[in-house]
Amino acid sequence: MILLIDMDAFFASVEQAHHPHLRGRPVIVCGDPGRRGVVTAASYEARPFGVRAGMPLQQARRLCPDAEYVEGRPEKYVALSLQLLELYLRYTPDVEPFSVDEAFVGLPPPGVRTLEQAAAIACRIQEEIASRFGLGASIGVGPNKLVAKLASGVRKPRGLTALDEEGFRGEFWPRDVEHLWGVGPKLAVRMRSLGFKTVGDLAHAPEPVLRGAFGVIGPQLRAAAWGRDDTPLIPYHQGVDPKSMGHEVTLPEDCDDPEFLEGTLLRLSDQVARRLRGEGWVGRTVTLKLRDRAFETLTRQRALPDFTDDHARIFEIARALFRIAWKRDPVRLLGVSVSGLERSPAGQGELFTRDERGRLLVRALDRVRDRLGEASLVPAGSLTHRRALGHVPFGALSARALERKSPLGGGH
Amino acid sequence: MFESLSDPVDVLTVFADGRMRPLRFRWQGKVVRVRTVTGEWTRREGQAVLRYFAVESTAADTYELCFDPRGPRWILSRAWDGAR
Repeated sequence: MILLIDMDAFFASVEQAHHPHLRGRPVIVCGDPGRRGVVTAASYEARPFGVRAGMPLQQARRLCPDAEYVEGRPEKYVALSLQLLELYLRYTPDVEPFSVDEAFVGLPPPGVRTLEQAAAIACRIQEEIASRFGLGASIGVGPNKLVAKLASGVRKPRGLTALDEEGFRGEFWPRDVEHLWGVGPKLAVRMRSLGFKTVGDLAHAPEPVLRGAFGVIGPQLRAAAWGRDDTPLIPYHQGVDPKSMGHEVTLPEDCDDPEFLEGTLLRLSDQVARRLRGEGWVGRTVTLKLRDRAFETLTRQRALPDFTDDHARIFEIARALFRIAWKRDPVRLLGVSVSGLERSPAGQGELFTRDERGRLLVRALDRVRDRLGEASLVPAGSLTHRRALGHVPFGALSARALERKSPLGGGH
Repeated sequence: MFESLSDPVDVLTVFADGRMRPLRFRWQGKVVRVRTVTGEWTRREGQAVLRYFAVESTAADTYELCFDPRGPRWILSRAWDGAR
């Protein structure tokens, strides 16, 4: 049996647990509430107002002006997520983190054979999460990851839903096809156009029709509609190789200053390269992400002739892509990522940096940051507009805090 | 709303059962008594592990305190502005 434990409105609930005066009130977690940005998380009290994660903050303020707007603390949520994983690991070693606020927990036989036994353990975990952390979780129980995942969304918050395959079909067959895990809005439109409106319709669709319309995933979606899934649970300790690594930032305000934008790309490239080196990866495809004020998002990518973990080379490509793609419209968001990853064999660094001095420099810089933190050294080119930066490297004081400390005060 | 701070504060701390707990701290000329620790987490900054505590005062105000072992020192990192 498999559980999917989904923390209810995780970031907002953490703030409510840590700050009792926020309990029972609409809470919206975001970046700096004094700047623009998007909603990171909304508490259940904020949701009836129509506030959702990903919504521009300005829109959220119109919908729910009396909410408490709280600046998120990503490091806090990650730390709590790890504490939750430790709790699950006390029940079983088969724990697979699915996101910062979701995890699959495997309860194999002979310890657990029935849905009822698994549900009893799920109930204990739910109570322990509430008593130790003051947080709510909704748990789905099922014979596989698909059923567990979909069951977790049946009753929220603090719900517990156990379904076998038959129960899954009773619950989900009448529902719109978009409720099936893996069917997004665009796929759902295509399915409806073929006459498959509900999950039950999809379950009874002729396989050749699905294969013709959707290729190899057609039959897989049909199996999913029957509640069948053989995706293995990959325990936490085994880990999963990442496909890409990237960073992105929503700018404090829409910007068309090329010096600022390229300085931001340099900072993002440095963060990505540092992460690649830190986790022992090299990559060969650089992707630039660019979003304008109309929320139109454009991505461009280019492959390198060889693998790299060098921020200068990543930046060189990201900047070249930027110069081609940018039409001088004000930019809202910038992102840089590297994909096509391979393990960086020990001592292979010299293949990926341009010269011995460069390699030694990068190694020395990494050592300083390992010891003193990420903010101790940053590329000078990324500091040309330090005061205006919307976010700063981990551990650095925010621009607002710097202004508070400055004897000149803000506004200079 | 919350105010992000980075104010050094003196904190009376108890070390017991292998754990540390802030009991009271002095901020802006007044002593704030901690009624309960509502959350704990850590953050790594280079080699240093910073320990954070979300606390509720006896006056029902909330704060976030950070113990930085490099001082060692305590920093008040966040306060609800109703606490002023």
